[in-house]
Amino acid sequence: MNPLSRAPLLFIFSFALGTTLLMGAFLDAQPGVAGNPEPAPPQTQKLTASAIQLERILPPEDLLIPEDTRVSMYENVILQLTKTKKFQHVYRSGDRTAADAPDLVVLHLIPEAFKPGSQKEREVITVAGTTSIKVKVQFTSREDKVLLEKDVVGKVRFYGENLRATYDLAKKVAALVNESF
Amino acid sequence: MRIRSVQTILGVSSTQGELVRQSLRLARLLVICVGLAFTAIAAPSFGQQPATAQNLPSSMIPNVKCVIGLENIKPGTTGTLTSLPTGLEFATGKRKATVITSSILDVFTGQESRQDVSGMGGTLVEAAIPYGGGRFVSLFSHKVDVLDVEYVDSDGGFHGAIFVLPAGKATAFKNQLVAQGAKVSRHVEAPQPKDQKP
Repeated sequence: MNPLSRAPLLFIFSFALGTTLLMGAFLDAQPGVAGNPEPAPPQTQKLTASAIQLERILPPEDLLIPEDTRVSMYENVILQLTKTKKFQHVYRSGDRTAADAPDLVVLHLIPEAFKPGSQKEREVITVAGTTSIKVKVQFTSREDKVLLEKDVVGKVRFYGENLRATYDLAKKVAALVNESF
Repeated sequence: MRIRSVQTILGVSSTQGELVRQSLRLARLLVICVGLAFTAIAAPSFGQQPATAQNLPSSMIPNVKCVIGLENIKPGTTGTLTSLPTGLEFATGKRKATVITSSILDVFTGQESRQDVSGMGGTLVEAAIPYGGGRFVSLFSHKVDVLDVEYVDSDGGFHGAIFVLPAGKATAFKNQLVAQGAKVSRHVEAPQPKDQKP
């Protein structure tokens, strides 16, 4: 065979071999996808509760968050929790009737970071002006035992008012509730 | 014959003249009656000032948007915010929500800037303008006041309501609530979004 005609064949063969090796390495790195199945990570046991109470959002002293953002976050989370239909009752902070709930889970939202953006910047420059809120979502028992803890970030990137970040955050909290309960 | 014909002509002309005069009199009477009727209808309204936003009592603010937080009121509804002797009332065409003064925990006011063209329709219009003209439209904004009211319901559950008012109205409304006995705590200035800074 002419060496000139052998060169493209060699190239194709080496390319195919390289791709196969790379794919093999990738599949090996994915647990449970390749041929030798690794034991799946222990499925987090789903929590059960018939009622949930959302505590007031009190940011740490060194973090200043506008009041409307705090209030909007609280109310949006209440609305989204109700929409999940995972609980018979969604109690607000301070609700006296929550004392009678048999298995109550308490939800704490602890703000960790807040970046005030700008609607005008978002709409004019597009890549700037993002408003974001980072919150630690903590589900505890009535006795303050932490059942689940996760960080959630609410953002508004392109279009919409700054308070829309709180709506985004509430949707993500509701998604976390849906996968954990 | 000539004389008779002249008489008949004169007779005809005289009756025509009378007819014209009578119709003129009737027209005058009609004009006077219509004028009187208009005066009678308009008299009470001349005594009143036109019902614009400036002339309404300071306790009643129309075109207020309830962003979120009132029971039985859909988020984003526009209505009238009224300061009652017992608290505040937000009323839309069909629904009303009342917060009594004794249940108010705190009241905050702030200023924000809102885009002149906003919402889903506005966004579509901006996107439809060629050569990025929509971005130019986004530069136009107006100031609004924001009023946050934190309160508790009859079971002690915490609520927070956010209202967007026309510029310069929130502080006066807050002062009215405070005068009625609403609790207000000391507030620390939080960082405002860049477009809200003066």
